[in-house]
Amino acid sequence: MISVRNLNKAFGDLHILKDINEEIKKGEKVVIVGPSGSGKSTFLRCLNLLERPTSGEIFFEGTDITKSRTKEINLLREKMGMVFQHFNLFPHLTIRRNITLAPTKLKLMTKEEADKKAAELLEKVGLADKAEQYPAQLSGGQKQRIAIARALAMNPDVMLFDEPTSALDPEMVGEVLNLMKELADDGMTMVVVTHEMGFAKEVASRVLFMDEGIIAEQASPEEFFSNPKSPRLKEFLSKVLI
Amino acid sequence: MSDFMQRLHDTFIDGARWQYLTDGLKTTLIVTVFAALIGIFLGFLIAIVRSTHDKTGNLKILNAVTKLYLTVIRGTPVVVQLLIIYFVIFGSVKIDKTFVAILSFGLNSAAYVAEIIRSGIMSIDIGQFEAGGSLGLSYSKTMVNIIVPQAFKNVLPALANEFIVLLKETSICGYIALADLTKGGDIIRAATYEAFLPLIAVAIIYLIMVMILTWLVGKLERRLAKNDKR
Repeated sequence: MISVRNLNKAFGDLHILKDINEEIKKGEKVVIVGPSGSGKSTFLRCLNLLERPTSGEIFFEGTDITKSRTKEINLLREKMGMVFQHFNLFPHLTIRRNITLAPTKLKLMTKEEADKKAAELLEKVGLADKAEQYPAQLSGGQKQRIAIARALAMNPDVMLFDEPTSALDPEMVGEVLNLMKELADDGMTMVVVTHEMGFAKEVASRVLFMDEGIIAEQASPEEFFSNPKSPRLKEFLSKVLI
Repeated sequence: MSDFMQRLHDTFIDGARWQYLTDGLKTTLIVTVFAALIGIFLGFLIAIVRSTHDKTGNLKILNAVTKLYLTVIRGTPVVVQLLIIYFVIFGSVKIDKTFVAILSFGLNSAAYVAEIIRSGIMSIDIGQFEAGGSLGLSYSKTMVNIIVPQAFKNVLPALANEFIVLLKETSICGYIALADLTKGGDIIRAATYEAFLPLIAVAIIYLIMVMILTWLVGKLERRLAKNDKR
């Protein structure tokens, strides 16, 4: 579904991503871990071109999106939902409007269809009673669940998660991870950058370890956590698995 | 007391001179309202050009034009701009003075509104642009539906201030012999040799208008603040 070839990204002299090659298949749940500054967020953001790659190719459903024009990029982003560390809900809109804004403005649904979809999604994320409230009235965990609902409203083919629980109070991490697990069980293709090793173990079909701009190691979660190969990954795991 | 009433009568009632004030007030309001509309419209356009350039690096030429515009308008006194537009640009044609005043103050106000709105747009978190983009919304749809409404709310106090300044700045309309409120008061002063009453009356009318405007903006601010409650 997503195929990355020789991807490079540099900010000025700073070479963040170095010749990355990666295949993500439909239905896979790929979890990316690694120390901060390793380029994992940048890699994720390249997938929907929030960052423009310096060189290399990214094929999404058969098309090289790095050659795309602005209009085509917008179309491709409709198919790639993204969830941010800081939620980025629209504070001036009600929860319902947050969810229905993009589908209606892009004329993918009528207002009635979008409202119906929003009601379904709010039910799914367990926040049906919050439809008419504003983001400021919600807790962090609730905000992130709404952000996931907002992305799902576009009926995406793949969901990208950029450290979705890193800005949450510890007691709210669980509700977001549970929702993500449900999503995984529904068969959604997911690419998740996270520090939640428990989630990686339980949900991932594959775990990638990024370090200094390369994918240093990848394996199934069992293999990844019980039998790490590179010294760098061993060191990383020893620090994060307490 | 009756002496004061007599002075009031002699100043305003005799010869129906109060009409200078009411007619002047009408002119002042017309000039202010239409200049404000031009200011908002043009100011928004300039602000969007400027912030789009700041954020994306596009629109280089338009941005250079708007920068020149801001430099000239903000670098010269509004009264000089008014005189140039009336006596130089429209010097050789007969033209409605109210129109000239509206145009001058509108063009002037646009420069200030533009910078206020731009500061509002630049204050919105980059994550809002990214969230809009990640949902497939184009830059312009993101701007219109997500960024500008938030920016507008944030800069409302500064915008209100700009319109209060605009209202009072129109008091220089007399320079092109347009009979606004201030000019009206001054005509009464010249006709009656009474300075105190007409000028104080003019001042009070401005004060009341500004107070009403402030009150209205306060109401609007409270309405827009409904999404802040926790």
